[in-house]
Amino acid sequence: MILAAAMNPEAFSGAQDAIARMRRGDPDALTAMISRYQHRLYRYLLRLVREPAAADDLFQQTWLRVMEKIGRYDARRNFESWLFSVAHNLAVDSWRGQRGESLHDASDGGESPGALLRTGDPDALERLLDFERGAMLAACLHELPAIHREVLTLRFEEDMKLEEIAAVAGVPLSTVKSRLRRALEGLRAAMDARSTGGKGA
Amino acid sequence: MSEHEASHQAIAGMLALAAAGALDLHEQRRLEEHARECPACRRELEIWSGYSQGLRRLPQPPVPAQLMERTRTRLVQEHAAAADRRWDELMLGALALFAWTVGLTFWFVARIVTGGELVVMGANLVRFGTWTAGSTVLVWLTAAVAALALGRRRRELRRAL
Repeated sequence: MILAAAMNPEAFSGAQDAIARMRRGDPDALTAMISRYQHRLYRYLLRLVREPAAADDLFQQTWLRVMEKIGRYDARRNFESWLFSVAHNLAVDSWRGQRGESLHDASDGGESPGALLRTGDPDALERLLDFERGAMLAACLHELPAIHREVLTLRFEEDMKLEEIAAVAGVPLSTVKSRLRRALEGLRAAMDARSTGGKGA
Repeated sequence: MSEHEASHQAIAGMLALAAAGALDLHEQRRLEEHARECPACRRELEIWSGYSQGLRRLPQPPVPAQLMERTRTRLVQEHAAAADRRWDELMLGALALFAWTVGLTFWFVARIVTGGELVVMGANLVRFGTWTAGSTVLVWLTAAVAALALGRRRRELRRAL
């Protein structure tokens, strides 16, 4: 759905128009852009920092920085990768001041397993299994190092090209590839460990 | 190690990236050729594809209530604070310029009235250097206090509105 919106030419020209109006300081354009990107940007930040309060604060700081720098934004550049790179840099800055990452758990939200079964939907069991697999995968993703969580969310949830991920993270393409491979291997190892642990219990 | 075994090892290292759509055309073609002949790699590729699909369908975190509204409020506050800072700086400059003009005018008047000499504790106050040093300190102090007072008054008025 998000990809479809991103590939829609009308949506693209709408975004360009909103960016042009943001440059002129139009508050409605800014509201439109925050609304447009709120789910994706918040999800990215939450995957990156894991703590909802920190993601919330970084979300706000990102838009402050966007307003500050929108005059210097190169319109030939992809706005989304620019926006995410602003968020990335702010997250890195906040880590520099903290040392280490938070170990608090981020809530996943959405439907609960019980709610799924109570619906009486014939596909409920399949959906429940999907839900449990998804929850387990999310839990394993949560355990990975930040750079691996970032590359996975940008590739699979944001559907970014490797070049765009490189621009967001400020690293060469080869680094993105090796991070992606290690991240997937780490995720699989974590899933295997959970499965083995679950069977053993 | 046989040639097939070496190729198998190299391809096995590419399977995760293949499922992530991160191989270039040449690598992709090489992998497909190998996988046609290698059931173990096909099976591995299926597993990695499962991870790829799972990652695209992760449970989505809900955006906190009022996050957009809080962000807008913070932006408005920051915008107003930046405007205040710019206004304070402009006012400080304008007041300093005004005070310097007044100081220079007084210097001319003082020189005419005193005949170019007003000695206090051994220093001629109407000498250009002494007058400039003294008036500079006074000018900036007065302008800073006035700019701060005006800025505060402006913020109080905005809060009252």
